[in-house]
Amino acid sequence: MATTDRLTRFVAAEPLVSHVTLLRIAIILAVLAIWEFMAHSGLLYRDVVPSLFAIGKALYDLLSHADFYFNLGVTAAEIGTALLIGGFSGLAVGILLGANRFLSKAFEPYLYYLGPTPKIIFFPIMIMWFGVGPSSKIALGTLSCFFPVALSVAAGMRQIDKVLIRVGQSFRASTWQMITKIYLPAMRHPIINGIRLGLGVALIGTLLAETKLSNKGIGFLIINAYSTFDMPRMYAMLIVLFVLAIGANALVGRLGDLEGIKRT
Amino acid sequence: MTIAAARQPGPRFVPPALVGVAALLVALLIMELLIQFNFVSRFIVPPPSEIIGSFGRVIVEEHVFSRFLLTLGECLTAGVMLTVFGIAGGVLMHRIKLLQQACETWVAAMAAAPVVLAYPLFMVIFGRNAWTIIMMGFFAALPPVILKTIEGMANTRKVLVNVGRSFNLTPTQQFWKIMFPAALPTIFVGVRLGLIFALINIVGVEFLINYGGLGQLINDLAERYDLAGTYAAICFVILVSVLFFMTLEKAERWLRPID
Amino acid sequence: MKHVVGLAAAAIAMATLTAPAAADDLVKMTIGQRGNWDTSITHLGEKAGIFKRHGLQLEMIYTSGSGETLQPVISGSVDLGLAVGTLGAMAAYSKGAPVRIIGAQATGAADYWYAKNPAIKTLKDTNGHTIAFSTNGSSTHSVVRAFIDEFKLTAKPQPTGNPSATLTAVMTDQVDVGWAAPPFGLKEMEEGKIHIVARATDATLVRGQTIRVLVANADALVKRKEVIDRFMKAYRESIDYLYSSNPQVMKDYAEFARVSEPLAKRVRDEFFPKSLVNPDQIHGLETLIPEAVNLKFIPTPLTKEQIAELIQILPRK
Repeated sequence: MATTDRLTRFVAAEPLVSHVTLLRIAIILAVLAIWEFMAHSGLLYRDVVPSLFAIGKALYDLLSHADFYFNLGVTAAEIGTALLIGGFSGLAVGILLGANRFLSKAFEPYLYYLGPTPKIIFFPIMIMWFGVGPSSKIALGTLSCFFPVALSVAAGMRQIDKVLIRVGQSFRASTWQMITKIYLPAMRHPIINGIRLGLGVALIGTLLAETKLSNKGIGFLIINAYSTFDMPRMYAMLIVLFVLAIGANALVGRLGDLEGIKRT
Repeated sequence: MTIAAARQPGPRFVPPALVGVAALLVALLIMELLIQFNFVSRFIVPPPSEIIGSFGRVIVEEHVFSRFLLTLGECLTAGVMLTVFGIAGGVLMHRIKLLQQACETWVAAMAAAPVVLAYPLFMVIFGRNAWTIIMMGFFAALPPVILKTIEGMANTRKVLVNVGRSFNLTPTQQFWKIMFPAALPTIFVGVRLGLIFALINIVGVEFLINYGGLGQLINDLAERYDLAGTYAAICFVILVSVLFFMTLEKAERWLRPID
Repeated sequence: MKHVVGLAAAAIAMATLTAPAAADDLVKMTIGQRGNWDTSITHLGEKAGIFKRHGLQLEMIYTSGSGETLQPVISGSVDLGLAVGTLGAMAAYSKGAPVRIIGAQATGAADYWYAKNPAIKTLKDTNGHTIAFSTNGSSTHSVVRAFIDEFKLTAKPQPTGNPSATLTAVMTDQVDVGWAAPPFGLKEMEEGKIHIVARATDATLVRGQTIRVLVANADALVKRKEVIDRFMKAYRESIDYLYSSNPQVMKDYAEFARVSEPLAKRVRDEFFPKSLVNPDQIHGLETLIPEAVNLKFIPTPLTKEQIAELIQILPRK
């Protein structure tokens, strides 16, 4: 997504910052006020829109229990493993497809079209193959994350400056040297972009799998709060999750920009 | 996003494509043999031949066509809402700079947020009906439409804007005659991305809440332990999404003949 | 995809190899509907140390539906599945899947139907209104059909999903009569928001039907027969403990289901007679089998031999 280039433009508008901040605060306050009004108006079913106070209390309860951090750790480990496996296999397949026109023509369309299908529908199969523990969640996360990484890397491969490749060849670099010295450094951006996309979908895949079948993890806590109709707790969990997801995404995005490489 | 990153060659009927198909067939054949000779349990993976055989049954008995229409209807409803609200939001943010500066990063952040996980929230607000599914699709897919609209508007070539000025166009005319048409191709990229997001989320939510069209079918068949049927239904969903993306791609090419 | 699966499989193989060894026999199981009284038997029994006494260590994984409870049993990644729909178990068995019923999990149902509208007091008042069940082919679906048949109702059945979604639908008038499984909804009932219209057991058909069962992987049942034997013994003992006057039971259950203690007690005493969770016999096969055929769970009725193979209840000792 065109997030980062927008970000840079935004930073340039220094003098307006106070107005912007004011507007932001105003918008946040307005949203909160509307929510609180809805909570008290009875327009929506009361228990579904709990007051901010109730949500705040649930948030505090959630964050002050060690239990939550254990579950967060489980989910984070699952997502991390998924990202690792999916990322590396995606990278390998991406390089292969990007380097070889024939393979790319033969197989890339499959990846291209399978990529955006909703991966959660494969979960019944993942349970069958990988069992009920964290492995089936990791498998779904891996499956989700593989496609964006592979496609992004393959596309990135083809955009590498031909001169760089010729330089490498003129030095008689081995395949391994070509990969580590030429391809990977030149493709930092597509790789990081792919990982960022991969992180997002791995997160969704893993958590959704947890809501379907598990005994630990954030997805499990969410579905549990929901099935006992503990709405403030569910909202609290969603808030934490959104903040973490957005934060992780920004972090990976930052990683790509840190070295001052301009994206085209 | 995935798609945009890889707008490389689509399938063409040249030898490599044949190799791809052949590889797929060989893989299926190997799977079939592994299962027939009991290297892989048929209770975990049904033989491909059985899956193919159950296609007819799934299509006729499970009313795949009407389910497909249901999912498509949800998708299109979400799509119309996306187009209207997404473009309107993007234009609004482009016109009111302060608003853009305040909210654009938020919208971008929303694109990264796992909206689909909030499905219980949508269930409690909208109930377990098509609206939950449509609204999920809508919210999950809104950010790319807004962002691409802003991008399109912002990147209108200066020359065009100047031409508009030299004709003394009013701001409204300037918008409708110059800015909007020039931004249209980029906006369409956003709408296409949005529709893909909507489809993913809609089928996913159908599966998760066991309601509606194709997503529910998979859940239903899995619940009945109709393994071959489950796999066949999954194939069907993939097929539908592939057709959907291809159609969108064609539509986009038709809309922007220049590049 | 193949690459991913291969790599993932390797990683997982490594992960499972390093699993810690325990002195007790580990029994893995999937359990549907966490927090209901009938699905809490293993949790409460383990908490009281009953399974440990029998040399067992339990690994319990909760699922959101009968299908997800059953699938891992079939693939052998768990030994047991608790609270699997009887029809689902039959379907899997009839297709040759290695699954056996080793006990009843719920005979008759504790589910109840409620309304917000004070005008709907009994089932008779539901005529011309909509009445909820969870999903097509589920046990609540059978109950609602039985209501309509037995009470000659003109109520319109409507699938509304799980109790949370159903409660929302009732409170926002999307459906008139909702369903729930206790303890869900009892708090709302005490607050006067909703009232009971009917119980599942009001339908004669349901009273005598084992709607959910305990299943085991067929392989595990042969190879780990002694362990599963011990499990059943501990399970039965846990039931006795759950219905004893020990105050710890209610304390633990209240904590597990996140409800108040008086409410927890009400769940057991009002909704779950001990006979409901008795695992010793599968009841109502004569009505369950035709229903399974009707709902496309099995193609043809099961034969006597098939039933004998499918249902292998370990006798009480």
